[in-house]
Amino acid sequence: MDATTGIPPAVTEETQVFWAAAREGRLVVEGCSSCGAESFPPRGMCRSCRGRAMIPVEITGHGVVYSFTVNYQRWLPDLEVPYAIVLVEFPGHPGVRVAGRLRGCPPEQAAIGMAVDVGFEPGPGGYAIPSFVVASSGI
Amino acid sequence: MGSDLFERRALISGVGQSAIGRQVGRSGLALTIDAILAAVQDAGLGLDDIDGLAMFPGGGAANLPGYANGNLYEVQDALGVATTWRQGIVEGMSLPFYGPAQAVATGQARHAVIWRTVKEGSASRQAGGRPAYGSTKPVAEGPLAWLLPIGMLSPVCQVAPYAARYMHEFGVSREQLAWIPVTQRAHAALNPDAVYTSPLTVEDYLGSRVISSPMCLYDCDVPVDGATAIVVSAAETAPDLRAPVRIEAMAGVVEGRPSWEQWQDMGRVGYGAAAAMWARTSLRPGDVDVAELYDGFTIEAVWWLEAMGFCGTGEAGAFVDGGTRIGLGGELPLNTWGGQLSGGRLHAAFGHTAEAVRQLRGEAGARQVAGAQVAAVTNVGGFEAGAALLTRF
Repeated sequence: MDATTGIPPAVTEETQVFWAAAREGRLVVEGCSSCGAESFPPRGMCRSCRGRAMIPVEITGHGVVYSFTVNYQRWLPDLEVPYAIVLVEFPGHPGVRVAGRLRGCPPEQAAIGMAVDVGFEPGPGGYAIPSFVVASSGI
Repeated sequence: MGSDLFERRALISGVGQSAIGRQVGRSGLALTIDAILAAVQDAGLGLDDIDGLAMFPGGGAANLPGYANGNLYEVQDALGVATTWRQGIVEGMSLPFYGPAQAVATGQARHAVIWRTVKEGSASRQAGGRPAYGSTKPVAEGPLAWLLPIGMLSPVCQVAPYAARYMHEFGVSREQLAWIPVTQRAHAALNPDAVYTSPLTVEDYLGSRVISSPMCLYDCDVPVDGATAIVVSAAETAPDLRAPVRIEAMAGVVEGRPSWEQWQDMGRVGYGAAAAMWARTSLRPGDVDVAELYDGFTIEAVWWLEAMGFCGTGEAGAFVDGGTRIGLGGELPLNTWGGQLSGGRLHAAFGHTAEAVRQLRGEAGARQVAGAQVAAVTNVGGFEAGAALLTRF
């Protein structure tokens, strides 16, 4: 399944850290150097204590699918379908939810509560996009 | 309660629409002018009475082909009026009549008209199918930067995870939810301006193709061409108006995380706006005679049925099952014009507002709810949410 057909992101001062890390296969969110709260997407301000000193924090380990959809509609010419999109949350990282594609199983097997590992794959415009991988214990 | 509420100093005085269809061979400007002229006449006013103009969205908001049409100044130039109040916004349009009501309640205008013109039907035909979100721009900006690159290329993909989560949490089935589009189709058959009027069955629904699971073709509203205009007038002008309708209460609330994919509890949407609205009136859900609840997708009508308190959280599946309660003879007739699912995606509750006004005036023809005194109107859901009660004058 190829995910390169689509529309690339506009990268901003707040989001460039995320997209640069994505190219290295790392999931980086914002952490607050004052209170330690984590947040995504990056806004340059802590949603818990309103501090402005935000630092990159890498998320590793399993995530859990909060919800998902399997898209069957060919919204753009050459878009390969179907594919599953998952919204993933991370135990121990409240405030962080990341949307991405799902790999490692047929899209129809996507399910709420499924365990996934962090991953990326080539997306539109040469960017690496979040693409979670079903954990071996995930189904 | 609430005689000092600002919305009580405003009346909805006119509604008007252009031709509505999958494709209408007229320009956006021509559709807009058609709707405005119809609405002003409907109010019992003349164009020279109009001193406020507003459009949604303002110019430049073109994330979807055919979504945004025209420019406020061109319309004002065409109408040949002078204005003391104008508004063209993208963010913050909780209800179509919210901004105009603010304007007339504070004396910034006496009669303000707001319009919404869509040409998404023509745009869909040109694209050979419903076009991708953001396909008018080379890169995905702002909130779309997290959605389009991963393949969430349509509002359908944004909303589908809400439906999946809702059905998972509450054990609601597609067989139950089918009754919303099926019942609304029956209503559309009584609306000469609806785009889809042929009978729809639960079997048709279950057999239709899935667009973005769990949502199928009939869960999605219908892209159309068409314009709706709404005139909002200062309450003291009531003697000049043909058939005004009161705004009993309204509220627009953005709460939680204002983002489609970051919304924390996807099983519950719209509660903040509904609670803020109910706090402004002594009327209760049981007083509502007709419900025009936003239905860009089936699940959005579900949100509003529950958030407004017409049924309990997680109970909408049982509430709509069989279509009896939400049908024309039922306890809560829902989207009596067919809604956006069958009447057409006039968007942002403009079609819903027009229908509510017609119902309260007794001008809804074959689909009239007998003796309708109180109508609920809601808009969108998700993080930008608006809820209102309109009442007979």
